Amino acid sequence: MRRNTATLLTLPVGAVALAIAIGGLLLPRAAAAQDGEKLFKTTCAACHSIGGGRLVGPDLQGVTERRTKEWLHQFIPASQKMVKDGDPTAVELFAEYNNIPMPDQPLTAVQVDAILGYVQASGAPPAADGGGGEAAPEPTPAPVEPPATPEQIQLGQDLFTGETRLAHGGPSCISCHDVTNDAIIGGGILARELTTVFGRLGGNGVRAILGSPPFPVMQAAYEDRSLEEAEVVALVSFLEQVSSEQSNHLPRDTGLKLAASGAVGTVLLLLLYSLIWGNRKRGSVNQAIYDRQVDSI
Amino acid sequence: MDIRSQVSMVFHLDKCIGCHTCSIACKNIWTDRKGAEYMWWNNVETKPGTGYPTKWEDQEIYKGGWEKDANGIDLKGAGKKKGLRNIFHNPHMPEIGDYYEPFTYRYLDLIESPAGDDQPTARPISMITGKPMDIRMGPNWDDDWSGTPDYARKDPNMKDLSEAEQEAMFQLERMCFFYLPRICNHCLNPACVASCPSGALYKRGEDGVVLINQSVCRAWRMCVTACPYKKSYYNWHTGKSEKCILCYPRIEAGYAPACMHSCVGRIRYLGVLLYDADKIHQVASSDDASLVNNHMDIIQDPFDEKVIASAKANGIADSTIHAAQYSPTYKFIKTWGLALPLHPEFRTLPMLFYVPPMLPVMASVKDVDNTAQSEKMHDIAKYWPDNWLYDTSTEELWGTIEQARMPMKYLASLFSNGDEAMVIDRLKKLMAVRIHRRRVTVGDITDAKADKTLADVGLTAELADDIYYLTSLAKFDDRFVVPAAHREQAIEMLEFTGDVKGNTGFGFKDGSAERGS
Repeated sequence: MRRNTATLLTLPVGAVALAIAIGGLLLPRAAAAQDGEKLFKTTCAACHSIGGGRLVGPDLQGVTERRTKEWLHQFIPASQKMVKDGDPTAVELFAEYNNIPMPDQPLTAVQVDAILGYVQASGAPPAADGGGGEAAPEPTPAPVEPPATPEQIQLGQDLFTGETRLAHGGPSCISCHDVTNDAIIGGGILARELTTVFGRLGGNGVRAILGSPPFPVMQAAYEDRSLEEAEVVALVSFLEQVSSEQSNHLPRDTGLKLAASGAVGTVLLLLLYSLIWGNRKRGSVNQAIYDRQVDSI
Repeated sequence: MDIRSQVSMVFHLDKCIGCHTCSIACKNIWTDRKGAEYMWWNNVETKPGTGYPTKWEDQEIYKGGWEKDANGIDLKGAGKKKGLRNIFHNPHMPEIGDYYEPFTYRYLDLIESPAGDDQPTARPISMITGKPMDIRMGPNWDDDWSGTPDYARKDPNMKDLSEAEQEAMFQLERMCFFYLPRICNHCLNPACVASCPSGALYKRGEDGVVLINQSVCRAWRMCVTACPYKKSYYNWHTGKSEKCILCYPRIEAGYAPACMHSCVGRIRYLGVLLYDADKIHQVASSDDASLVNNHMDIIQDPFDEKVIASAKANGIADSTIHAAQYSPTYKFIKTWGLALPLHPEFRTLPMLFYVPPMLPVMASVKDVDNTAQSEKMHDIAKYWPDNWLYDTSTEELWGTIEQARMPMKYLASLFSNGDEAMVIDRLKKLMAVRIHRRRVTVGDITDAKADKTLADVGLTAELADDIYYLTSLAKFDDRFVVPAAHREQAIEMLEFTGDVKGNTGFGFKDGSAERGS
């Protein structure tokens, strides 16, 4: 009896506590989730458009019809896991988009739903497009840009290296990124190597990423310190330059090849040294005498 | 003709008694410092012996000196290409084990040890580590043929001698040795100067003393390897190389260098030579046969008008020319032709010359009847019942040289690049002087015989008396004719003395008070 009453007493208390806890967790998110548009713009728009054609990733118009809800809920937070697990659609998409992985998005199911709701709502009826794939009408909606001026490239380089601070105080690219270019010595290794990023993502993709970074760490780093338009243009120009000059610069190899060539080089050097200095005086002329002497200490 | 002056030395080996006083005088003045304990700018070696550092004469080990090549001469172990190749690790350098680990004794233990059952001992202490050590080697470990199997028998100069000749040197009643005191030769073509990558070594203009500028030396130690006489030493404490400075502060003050001043046997002579600097390269590159004679010929006659004119044109002071005319070394080397350079084949043109040793006495053992002699002896005298005579007389005039215990080949390997005739010529002259003086003082040699010996070697009675005087009777000022230093002119070469006119106190150009301020 006593136990029953205790249980009876604890139940409502627990329920209330649970509700408060869940509410405390969800309420702000729920509020944010309502704004699917805002979420889409901050996390997805860098790589995806809705009806604007393919950017880095596929056009998301009609994606809710093409894929099941479960598939999308699995893919958005952990796309690479799906690729690794061998989901045929995921593998196909990955290959189609130049093996550029989609960053895992730390979104709750509610937030994903909110984004999908926005995508569905704002999407016009799908065009004759299969899986957001090869037949996507090459949009090139961006107006033809004037070629980057040397000043812009130089500014981009300075911004990359931190020679010039970013206007809103964001960290310089070199803190985490590296490119293979003579202009940059010793870039960071915390994030991706960016030599070919322009070639892979194109100007729009890079611009979009710089405008609103989709990657969690980058997002956090540039929160409230977003880049200015001129800075984005300069950095894109610099990365374009790096990408186009890539073939002129030796790739940096820090893998097995480097270790192996280091080992071979060491052996060769030692051989060379022994050739040059092999005929040297070894030890004391008196060594034979010293060897015969008896030590007392 | 480009006449310059050189302070040169002659060591008369017949007079050296191997007392090491010169070494001690030098050590006390110059190398009694931390890092310099193992250095002996002056050392005395027993020959045959391996010397200090061990086998210094063997340039296959140390790669010192010059060697002749198609274009003249090249440094054996240093120079631009070889020097650059070995600049960070000089592979032929002598190490401390080739010299010896310097030591002292903990003498205070003898006095301060507490009372105990055992006598206190003074333990040997390394002067490098400061810790107790086993003494393994000293700077004259081969003195007086001690350790002969290790030292005398391994003398690099014996390589040209046949096995029988070598063996003969070590037989009882045949063995002999002499002393070879060595200092820096202050060469005319110094390999150490040529080898220095920093340009720290230089040959002083006024007297040819070879010095190491301690503020320019960068411790490459190329000079240590390049000097074939191993007379440049590395001070491990200061990180600079050091060498004999010919006591230039003493020379400038008119004194003889300490080693010469203190020499008990009075074997050392110092004086100015005038030489033709234009000929240095040509002489140093001459072929083996003419090397020694060319070496002697580079020294010019200080009485020759042309030589004096060229010397004056080069700014050599009258007092220096005067000193050259009275130079005892010029007499030994040129006038009398008694002295020879040590190892001329290293091609550094050393300016220290040696009068080769005629002693040890040449003698033979003869069977004779000693009974008549024995009967004359007092009862308490120690009596040896043997019947032989250690006979130093000879029928032949030059017989004793031919019977010499020291093979001429050995002396020639030291002093004349293997030319035995050159050594024999010097020894014959020394012998002729002795025969002449015996005629004068003892009178048991006929004039005809004495005059013939003198004529055979191109000497006269007067010259022989001169040689006798400078060898045996010479006073301090005869042995050391030190040129006046003229440092006041040396300073004027470096700076304009007008600059310091009107300055106050000791302050010269920098920081001196301006007038009226």
